[in-house]
Amino acid sequence: MARQRPTLRRQNDPPVLILASLADGPKHGHALIKDIATFAGVELGPGALYGAIARLEEQGLIEALAPVDRRRPYRLTAAGEAALKEVVRDMHTVSSVAAGRLGLSLGGLA
Amino acid sequence: MNDRSRLLRWYPAAWRDRYGEEMLALIDDEVGGGGPGLGLRLSLVRHGLAERARTAGLRGPSTSRDTDLRRGALLVLVAWSAFMVAGAGYSKASEHFNAAVPAGVHPLPQVAYDVVLAFGVLGGLLVLAGAAIAVPGFVRALQEGAWPVFRPHVVRAIALSATTVALTLPLALWAHQLSEQQRNGGSAVYSAAFLGWAALGVISLAMWTAAAVAVGRRVELSPRALQAETRLALALVAAMVVVTVASAVWWAGMAAYAPSFLTGAQHATAAAALFNLPLVVAMGIMFAGLALSSVGVRRIARA
Repeated sequence: MARQRPTLRRQNDPPVLILASLADGPKHGHALIKDIATFAGVELGPGALYGAIARLEEQGLIEALAPVDRRRPYRLTAAGEAALKEVVRDMHTVSSVAAGRLGLSLGGLA
Repeated sequence: MNDRSRLLRWYPAAWRDRYGEEMLALIDDEVGGGGPGLGLRLSLVRHGLAERARTAGLRGPSTSRDTDLRRGALLVLVAWSAFMVAGAGYSKASEHFNAAVPAGVHPLPQVAYDVVLAFGVLGGLLVLAGAAIAVPGFVRALQEGAWPVFRPHVVRAIALSATTVALTLPLALWAHQLSEQQRNGGSAVYSAAFLGWAALGVISLAMWTAAAVAVGRRVELSPRALQAETRLALALVAAMVVVTVASAVWWAGMAAYAPSFLTGAQHATAAAALFNLPLVVAMGIMFAGLALSSVGVRRIARA
């Protein structure tokens, strides 16, 4: 089956949040939800999470590992890592422009 | 199927096979020993139906102008099916209304009713025209061996329709032996049987719609035929808007001039007549249909 072209958009899109969460290693659904709530403050429900997981898997951006006690971990693929880097670069460009226009130092915002 | 598994029944079977078990494990992790709350249940209904729409080819990323036009037109067709259900409810609720409000005294309800009827028929004709345009493509698809793809949808639709039709005659004979009061809620057993029969009819319609969507997303259409389908879909949306407005006007007119007709009570107020449950449900379905068709129109406009 031909894979669809990845369509990642805003930083708060569930697919982007999932890719960001998986950037430091494989996680299953519950761990993803907890991690995303911690670093982004976004509470994803099971429906939204698995809808996004299904799309990312279709697009070849993540892949499933062998299940452990009913819980299946997922990890980034090389294409997923490239897509996440592209999103991060886009976000960086936008935030740099906005910070420059506001006279802010991005380092000081953290 | 246990209670947890039932949560996923809104998702397509293939999706459940792939993600069901791990999603149930996630739900167990999220809710612990307690039962899933209403918010979680509604979220699963919404996402499950979204997955079904994606599986049916009604959702998903835009891949071509042809796909967007087709999806837009098919969404309008699905919305029209919802309108047919609403129309059946409206038709039942408005039965013999002209005896309560003679047209010579208060013409508004009759005029509004005639508009609903005329545009309802027009909508049906537009759908038939759309089906006629797709016939050559459908025949070509059958000749090229697409029948196995269509067969499960068509067989399900035929089986359910046949069951509904087979039950219609005994139900009609039964109704014939009952008084008007018994037919309209006085007999709990008859009401339950009628509701069951109506539900079967709705499911049959849903199955035919699913079959039409399965055919509609696969048949080859020339650019001219696709453009014609798109225009018919837009005209159908306009008809649905008129039907909705005219239904609301009829309801308001009946509430103003003959509230007792809608409440069943001898001394009713216009405000009480606005809480007629069948009409609330019918209008709710119409608005849901309009919301769905607006998604279709946006897809068509984007293309």
